[in-house]
Amino acid sequence: MQYFALTIIGRDRPGIVSQVTEILYRDGFNIADSSCSILGGQFSMILIISNPKITSKEQFADDFAKLEESNLSVFIRTLKPGGEERPELEGHLCMISVYGADKPGIVYQVAKELGDRQINITDLNTKLIGDEKRPVYVMMIEAILPDEVEIETVESWMVELKQKLQVDISVRSLLAVEL
Amino acid sequence: MAVKEVLVYPDPRLKEMCAPVDDFDDSVRQLLQDLVDTMIDAGHSVGVAAPQIGDLRRAVVVDVSKSKLGKKQVNHGLMQMVNPKIIETEGSQVVREGCMSVPDYTGNVTRAEKIVVQYLDENGDFKVVPSEGFEAIAIQHELDHLDGHLFLDRVSSLKTDLFRRKQKK
Repeated sequence: MQYFALTIIGRDRPGIVSQVTEILYRDGFNIADSSCSILGGQFSMILIISNPKITSKEQFADDFAKLEESNLSVFIRTLKPGGEERPELEGHLCMISVYGADKPGIVYQVAKELGDRQINITDLNTKLIGDEKRPVYVMMIEAILPDEVEIETVESWMVELKQKLQVDISVRSLLAVEL
Repeated sequence: MAVKEVLVYPDPRLKEMCAPVDDFDDSVRQLLQDLVDTMIDAGHSVGVAAPQIGDLRRAVVVDVSKSKLGKKQVNHGLMQMVNPKIIETEGSQVVREGCMSVPDYTGNVTRAEKIVVQYLDENGDFKVVPSEGFEAIAIQHELDHLDGHLFLDRVSSLKTDLFRRKQKK
């Protein structure tokens, strides 16, 4: 079956989800996976969708184009075969909390330490908190560490960064258990 | 030896409130044995609750000593618990849980770090046992089953927590 990634973003207000999912429902789409959240004043939706009767985005793109009239931006990406499946990631989960006075480059420099070592980030949230005089940046990263990489090892990668960026960074393991 | 089928949601029995055991008779001993057999048969499982095999009585078994994580920690080996009740909790920790009855899905759940649990053991003797670490998580997870709770009822997300705290100001 052909899968599509549907991204919708627009000024937050009540009714966006129902407006979007009504179209999906009427067109006969399945929502395989989705994540929707409010970022700043914008509501953003990312959905992986499929419909046994639809093979190309031209068949349904017009239905969503209507949303543009209510100030929502719509983007549809056609997935390659297998693109709907999450790759099997071996290893153990860890959470990295980074927070401190806001300054440029916090996300990039922390992510670079991980990316350079082929560590896979599975979830990342950032938020600017505090007030205008003293903005505080908070970032939460969830990453999968290969078996041979210990929590202490990740901590050691962050020591220099803590100094350089003057932020607090803590790393802890996120216990994942099947019960 | 009786390995039972592990029920999978949406089987309605997983959402039932289980009844306390009043008479500790042979059928209770048989239930505990079935739970143990089913847990062992399920490979890496560290616990099974009675409703997961379709029996709506308050009984669970837990054994983390055979798991990779559990054997590194202090634990009580095989625990067979009838009418279990958590009487004290301390601390909290976030755990990514999965469940045999809800395949292919995991969620972050907040659990107590340390607990004290009371129960009748396989001989009908009253026990009060402190537990911590992975074993305490497993006990809390299995006991939830007796009240018709799945981990899906307890999922929390860090992002929401942050948001809530901000609103309180």
